[in-house]
Amino acid sequence: MGTLGVNVPALIVVGISLVIGLVMVVVFRYTSDQKEIHIAKDRLKAHLLALRLFQDQIPVVLRSYGRIVVATGGYLRLAFKPLLLVILPLIFLIVQLDRYLGWMPVEAGHPFLITVRMDNLKASNEASLQLPDGLAATAPAVHVPSENEIAWRVVAEKPGQYIVNIQASDETFSKRLVIGAGLQRLSPVRLRGKFWERILVSSEAALPENNPIESIAVQYPARSIAFAGLEWNWIWLFFVLSLAAGFLSKSILGIEI
Amino acid sequence: MKWRETIFRVERRRLLACLAVLGIVLLHSLPSHAYAGPGAGFAVLSSFWTLFVAFFYSVYAFFAWPFRQLFRLLRRRKAYGKAQIKRAIILGFDGMDPELTERFIAEGKLPNLAKLRERGTFRKLQTTFPPISPVAWSTFMTGVNPGKHNIYDFLARDLSNYLPYLSSAEIKGPKRSWKIGKYTIPLGGPRIKGMRRGIPFWHWLGEAGVFCSVIRVPVTFPPEKFSGVLLSGMCVPDLKGSQGTFCLCTTRSRGDKFREGGVRIPIERNGSSCRSYVPGPENPLTGGSGDELRVNFEIHPDKGNQARFTVDSQRFTLKVGDYSEWVPVRFSAGVGFSAHGICRFYLKELSPEVEVYVTPVNIDPGRPDLPISHPVTYSIYLAKLFGPYATLGLAEDTWALNEEVLDDQAFLAQCYANHDDRERMLFDALEKTSQGLCACVFDTTDRVQHMFWRYLEDDHPAARDVPRDQRPSVIQDLYSRMDKLIGRVMGQIDDKTLLMVVSDHGFKSFARCVNLNAWLHQNGYLALKSGKTESGDWFDDVDWSRTRAYTMGLNGLYLNLKGREREGIIEAGSDADALKDELRRKLDGLVDPASGRAGITGVFDCDSVYAGPYVDNAPDLIVGYGDGFRASWDSVMGKVTRQIFEDNLKAWSGDHCIDPRLVPGVLFCNHKISDEKPAIVDVAPTVLKLFGLALPGHLDGKPWTVAPSTTP
Repeated sequence: MGTLGVNVPALIVVGISLVIGLVMVVVFRYTSDQKEIHIAKDRLKAHLLALRLFQDQIPVVLRSYGRIVVATGGYLRLAFKPLLLVILPLIFLIVQLDRYLGWMPVEAGHPFLITVRMDNLKASNEASLQLPDGLAATAPAVHVPSENEIAWRVVAEKPGQYIVNIQASDETFSKRLVIGAGLQRLSPVRLRGKFWERILVSSEAALPENNPIESIAVQYPARSIAFAGLEWNWIWLFFVLSLAAGFLSKSILGIEI
Repeated sequence: MKWRETIFRVERRRLLACLAVLGIVLLHSLPSHAYAGPGAGFAVLSSFWTLFVAFFYSVYAFFAWPFRQLFRLLRRRKAYGKAQIKRAIILGFDGMDPELTERFIAEGKLPNLAKLRERGTFRKLQTTFPPISPVAWSTFMTGVNPGKHNIYDFLARDLSNYLPYLSSAEIKGPKRSWKIGKYTIPLGGPRIKGMRRGIPFWHWLGEAGVFCSVIRVPVTFPPEKFSGVLLSGMCVPDLKGSQGTFCLCTTRSRGDKFREGGVRIPIERNGSSCRSYVPGPENPLTGGSGDELRVNFEIHPDKGNQARFTVDSQRFTLKVGDYSEWVPVRFSAGVGFSAHGICRFYLKELSPEVEVYVTPVNIDPGRPDLPISHPVTYSIYLAKLFGPYATLGLAEDTWALNEEVLDDQAFLAQCYANHDDRERMLFDALEKTSQGLCACVFDTTDRVQHMFWRYLEDDHPAARDVPRDQRPSVIQDLYSRMDKLIGRVMGQIDDKTLLMVVSDHGFKSFARCVNLNAWLHQNGYLALKSGKTESGDWFDDVDWSRTRAYTMGLNGLYLNLKGREREGIIEAGSDADALKDELRRKLDGLVDPASGRAGITGVFDCDSVYAGPYVDNAPDLIVGYGDGFRASWDSVMGKVTRQIFEDNLKAWSGDHCIDPRLVPGVLFCNHKISDEKPAIVDVAPTVLKLFGLALPGHLDGKPWTVAPSTTP
């Protein structure tokens, strides 16, 4: 909740969903073959009606089912053609929103894990964590040899942005973490390589290639948004609301989807 | 060529790279990230929903099938138990003429019909009294004479006011309504009552478990429930409730009305664009005040003899001489009160004047406001499968050609567009009806012969100006087209299928008009009010107190009978019989003084040609006009003129509403039929017998003897 009792994340998701629902439907209108989509949908409906109209004739029913499968493929082909044009910008937009809406900052006084994955067991045994003032480890490091992982349980005294350092193979690697509340841009993991995964889940610079650390992760709690009496993951709420907005827009604008 | 290969390689690499990027994004992202907007969301959801519903229904149909069969057996619906055939296909070619058919077969133009005649049967098929489509097709489907099915003409007369009404169906407003000030809120839909009596033979077949697909057989509106699918044909009204009201939108200021079937609507110029409207049904909220609903449209002339049209939210471009596709139009009277129709626009002229012809607004088959099929979903199914199609009973706009709003080419284009739709429906029905009955009637044969007979004759009054070498061979082409259709159907049948090609009547020239009301007037049977020498339409200025007989419609002649007609003066019984005898004697052989030929070759007493519970609704006499003659346009509309005989100058130049003995229909069959004089009334009992059903006792027709084997 915001300072005035307003559910800011929910408002953001609702607003974005409505705008994206409208924009995407309009983009769909101009990037798709509306006439062909209309025909394809009508054919589908016709084959569905045939199932009911000729239900006593099993060969007709089976033939109609086959045609439904083929017609569905055709319809999907037409509907996904515009998707090719919008999928990349929309995914990058969703990824950026996910930075703010996907997780919550760790609250001060609440312990959390910092996990480092190395590319060899020896390096993981030698790794150490250097914490800035305000952060403290609450337990010894836990090694998971089978995963080449090492984890520390940490707690923060007060809200703020911190840089933690990992010492490995005589080198130091940093990771940003946020303690506090509200909407903040978060990066739950810093990665070495893995370009696409980094684009999707990390907002920090890549770790150097010639070092033993594969990833440094902070265990932020997942954010849930209260809306309509339910707790939602933001992407599901976005899914439902943008569909509803799209449906409304398509009906008003007479767009065939 | 090297540079081309290089470019191709680069393009291919780019394409592969794009696909790879997309694949990586989709594969690497969380499932929720793969959601890319409502478009994709709808597509995925609706596709899976469709597949789910289809799968569920297929499984249901598959597992329910044995139980349905068992249920049938329990209800003694033993399909095909004693059937001689597995499937019957009846192609109805309205008005196909046996003499023309023989002529074209002899000329080698109809190879498939020739094959049917050679290996199966070809006979003239006796038609009904009178030989009018709604009468004959009603007899075809019920197997009874008109005295039992109650259809004697397109029109019947209201005994209380001598005015006509449609004989096949009655459409009234809702039973109850709610009046608020000047507005009337209808509570419920319109009431539709079928006037045809008798039971179509596909009802008996359905009862026995034989599936039937019936397409556009006339007088099947409103559609009746039975075990099968049916699309109504002739007599389905347009959205205005008429039998077809076209609209000519024009910038010309001429204001005279069309005599038949059309309205003239002004086009207003507004700078470089033009505005007009399509008139629709009456506003249901203004309770009979006559206010019509409208759909506005705009025309934006472009270069190159073409114009952009905007109708509601739809936009399309037409060149002069082009038809649009079917355009959906919605006539809205307010929230919750709208009527859905479809119509086609034809750009006649852009300069110097602008003229647009609009077809009658057909009931939208995809969103029917009146039931036009059984089940209701059948018309929707066909609309979804093939797109919108004409639903109006008389879909080919003969009035527009008669009134010279359309020319020959435009009319033919309209006819064959409808015909192509009908062919698609037929072949879909054939595919869906591998066992059972498939009956489909094609109207094109009737309409084209009505309108183009003038080119078949050397001296037809309606084509005297057209040199012989410039006359198109429209009717020959029509028959050839129908023959090709038969050929394609023959390619789909096996030896357990009966294929029958029937027509309800033949055709003859309509060169001379006979105004029977004028004859009745001049011979003292029909009196006009004092000082009048002619009447208006529908007996305006007729003095009923001195009128003994009158005619309206195409063949019926009525006595002004006391106790039956509102102002009847003839006593039923011996007076009426004597008058009928007198009229028969005088009219039979009535000679046209211009040619010396008999304008009337037979007058038939309905008491002797009809039998059944509805004979009282029949005309008293049926007038059989001679070859080349027909009731005049005025006489049909209850108008008395000075001339009894006159030339028919209209494009409607062929007809069949004459002496039934002159216009038999055709019967082709892929089986040998031994009967020498088959009649259209025999079709129903024959089909019932072939499917092994007992014949209902009230049928008038007799089943033919059909040889079991076939070699199509």
